[in-house]
Amino acid sequence: MNRFALAFRLPVIAWQGLFFLGPLFFMIAMSFFLVKNYRMEEAFELKNWARMLTRGYVWDSYWYTFGMAGLATLVATLVAFPAAYALAFRVSEATRRWAIFLLIIPFFTSYLVRTFSWYVILAESGAINAGLGTVGLGPYTMLNTPFGTVVGYLTLTLPLVVILQTVALANIDRNLVQAARNLGCPPERTLFAVIVPLAKAGLIIAALFCFILSFGDFVAPYYMGGSKPPTLPILIIDTTKSGQQWPRAAVVAVMMMLTLFSIAAASIWLAYRKRSSA
Amino acid sequence: MTDPLVILSGVVKRFGDFTAVHRLDLEIAAGEFIAIMGPSGCGKTTTLRMIAGLEAPSEGEVRIGGRLMNDVPVHERDTPMVWQSLALFPFLNARENVEFGLRMRRIDAAERRRRAAEWLGRLEIGEFAERNVDTLSGGQRQRVALARSLVTEPQILLLDEPLSALDAHLVIRMQGVLTRLQRELGITFVYVTHSQSEAFAMANRIVIMSEGRVVQVGQPREIYRTPENRFVAEFVGRNNILAGTSRGDAIETPLGVFPAAGLPAAGNRATLVVAADLVEIGRTPSEGAIPCSLISEEFVGATVTLFLEAKDGTELKVQLPERALGDLDPHAGGDFHLSWPADAGHILVES
Repeated sequence: MNRFALAFRLPVIAWQGLFFLGPLFFMIAMSFFLVKNYRMEEAFELKNWARMLTRGYVWDSYWYTFGMAGLATLVATLVAFPAAYALAFRVSEATRRWAIFLLIIPFFTSYLVRTFSWYVILAESGAINAGLGTVGLGPYTMLNTPFGTVVGYLTLTLPLVVILQTVALANIDRNLVQAARNLGCPPERTLFAVIVPLAKAGLIIAALFCFILSFGDFVAPYYMGGSKPPTLPILIIDTTKSGQQWPRAAVVAVMMMLTLFSIAAASIWLAYRKRSSA
Repeated sequence: MTDPLVILSGVVKRFGDFTAVHRLDLEIAAGEFIAIMGPSGCGKTTTLRMIAGLEAPSEGEVRIGGRLMNDVPVHERDTPMVWQSLALFPFLNARENVEFGLRMRRIDAAERRRRAAEWLGRLEIGEFAERNVDTLSGGQRQRVALARSLVTEPQILLLDEPLSALDAHLVIRMQGVLTRLQRELGITFVYVTHSQSEAFAMANRIVIMSEGRVVQVGQPREIYRTPENRFVAEFVGRNNILAGTSRGDAIETPLGVFPAAGLPAAGNRATLVVAADLVEIGRTPSEGAIPCSLISEEFVGATVTLFLEAKDGTELKVQLPERALGDLDPHAGGDFHLSWPADAGHILVES
């Protein structure tokens, strides 16, 4: 690498080193520190890990978070697909561009604000229950439930999943779809025989983003799920608040990082694996 | 001859304001190797896609085996096509690509495997059956595409410029493979191309299209030696084209008066076409020969084409084998003298 190229890369390398790798290593190191009299002390002890990994509530929270993020990923993938399919195959390119622009707009406002706007709709006295009340149903409790958490996750992820799926589907070589029809593939089988396999990488990446964002999200489970039960990000906040237990919170954070690394690696392998089992 | 396998009658295809194909009538016999040839945008691919059902005709009828196909969807037609891009499925290996059509027909796995293996073997790519298609060479991919189209044993195979992406030496190989396959299977091949050499090397019959219309249909030799109009004369082969006026048994052109057969009544306009390979060239002046100077030359293997200019600026071409150049030495400068036998000329009467 010549000096010139190095000079150009230096800012990125410095940024990543200072604000990503540095804190990451510090966090891992901190998970071995100890807290005495509400003060953190440098150490290399496995006590935090031993304590956190043997507590039932940590694992309950882990699997709950994992399950909820997984559920949101499944729901987002299935809900987004028909919309993405329509945008990719059923509308003009101009319409598609507009749709993608509109799908970006939600990101202009704070996710927290968008989450609060659900209160108006989902509250016991909100729009949905008011509507159901006129036909003698409800009121149903939707806020501060796992349902609320999933709605929150989808608020965060659904527009992104639709965009990523649309791009994946729109980039499919139309000749291949026509070739399938030409070889006797009826319209109802085209989806699973050609379109999904061709868009596979993009669909998996969209799902991966949804899982990562949901798994690490604090807002939805806290404000829409009412922390009942707490997800891992809520657990981290609670742990730091109770007796300055930053090292124990670091243990949870490292667990989350390892989980996401594994999920991301598996997804990428699945997405770009050459041979199919079809 | 038995009933034609494919009949296009009065077929028109419009895309918005643009008419890609104008009232096309064409019959394709069973077992025929027919090439549809023309420059890009002439409507040849659109015609092929209408046979496959990938485009719906705006007007007219498409019949295959006597059945009206206009409303038969693509997947029910059994008119497999070999695509210019090959359109192999990248998520399937070579064998699975070949099996695709059989899978769509819900043929069981064991039978699918047997028939795919048979066709991969027939096209001499059996050893690549389990290979990912993007690890195969151009020629191998071509063979996978052919096997994939033929495995369902169709009555007709549509080919859309399938060799245009291959290296020259592979094109010749694949031409051999295609002609042999067509002869062995006895099915109809409809081959769309802009390449004269491909069409002339393989087809029994050639359809020349220009701007959405058929301008000539005939056997390769007919098309080559007796073009019916100026477009074909310019598009096919290397022809010298001289506009002139009929004198009954000869045609008067700016380069002289040439005896010719098939002329309209004296006084009418006509065009004389002389194939470049029928023109004789020499260094010595003679009665009726046209003095010319050399502009440029082109060597393709053993064939030389000389581009010359007559005194009035008319461009003339002469094609001859390299060994026939003899002591003609094109670089020596000076004039050349061009002539042709009376029966070399071919007359076009444009309406």
